[in-house]
Amino acid sequence: MPRLPKWLREVGWRAVAGALLLGGIIHILATMAVPIVSSGHAFARLQDSLPINQMVLLPPPAPGKQPLPFLLPDALYAMCRYDISVDLILVNAPMTQAGWTLSLHTPQGDNFYVMPAQDSRRGAVSLTLVPSAERLGEFAATPRRISAQETQVASPSWQGLVVVRAPLKGLAWRAETEAALRRASCTPVKRS
Amino acid sequence: MIEAGSRLSTQSSGPWTTWSAAGRPDADPYTRAHTARNGLLPLASTLEITYQAKADSRGGRLNSGCEYTIVMENLGATWWSLAAFDGQGGLIQNAAERYAFNSDNVMREPDGRAIITLARDARPGNWLPITGSRVNLVLTVQDPAWAAAVYEGNAKPLPAIQRLACR
Repeated sequence: MPRLPKWLREVGWRAVAGALLLGGIIHILATMAVPIVSSGHAFARLQDSLPINQMVLLPPPAPGKQPLPFLLPDALYAMCRYDISVDLILVNAPMTQAGWTLSLHTPQGDNFYVMPAQDSRRGAVSLTLVPSAERLGEFAATPRRISAQETQVASPSWQGLVVVRAPLKGLAWRAETEAALRRASCTPVKRS
Repeated sequence: MIEAGSRLSTQSSGPWTTWSAAGRPDADPYTRAHTARNGLLPLASTLEITYQAKADSRGGRLNSGCEYTIVMENLGATWWSLAAFDGQGGLIQNAAERYAFNSDNVMREPDGRAIITLARDARPGNWLPITGSRVNLVLTVQDPAWAAAVYEGNAKPLPAIQRLACR
């Protein structure tokens, strides 16, 4: 049986276990830090092309002109970079065909709300983005009063992305789909 | 663990792999790190599942030197999309400006199946052009019932990627 080198025999099992534990902790902390410290996440990549609290219709995906990697090429996108630290945001989106989606994302990419268009539920969707209860605690003022018909969605972060995705049936439908997507909006609403 | 995933964070079906908790706020740290590092913006996997394949069903790396066929069936009434990307997630330049097929625009056989051919040069039917030495296929399936089945480990089998011929 081969003998271990002397220096290795002098390393105690406690030191080995400690090193493994320390390595594991560093690995876990580094993994958890990636969404926070990474400069390549979707929000950072889109930040410059999306003015704040304004819905923007993105050009159709094309080689070399994709806003994000692996973005569906057979769909058109309208996006809004929201910030609810001052005003609330009223989001309106047409959901004209099955396959359309309205989704809300945190800067780290978490999709905390998504609404798909379905055969039984088509037409314009309207919702108000408000701070989550724990964030609201940082404000002395209460949010504005809401009506029974209004849908409010609590955002876990002050900033994030609203994405309206419209699948393309084909080139012949592009103009019609673009016209529908242009009706999507992102409007600041004063707190009262 | 962050780039390729593990059995804890991904599920595989033939050549297709999906990050099981992609997009979800309660996703594991590896999934969240993968999403952030690669600049992805997935919908929550409770609604939509995104599969990626880098190899054909026999394990060969997808590349434009070969021709492949995929028979889309067993996907039911769900909305799906099949797109071809290069190794970095960019669209593949082609004169036809065709980058994907979906359940709305694909041509179907009389029995409802859709046969998609991936090749460098034009082919009759649903031809998806590919070029370059590394091709990534992305299959997106939007259906809450499908997503629930994936979550419970009862997902239906996915279409095979058959290699037909190589130059």
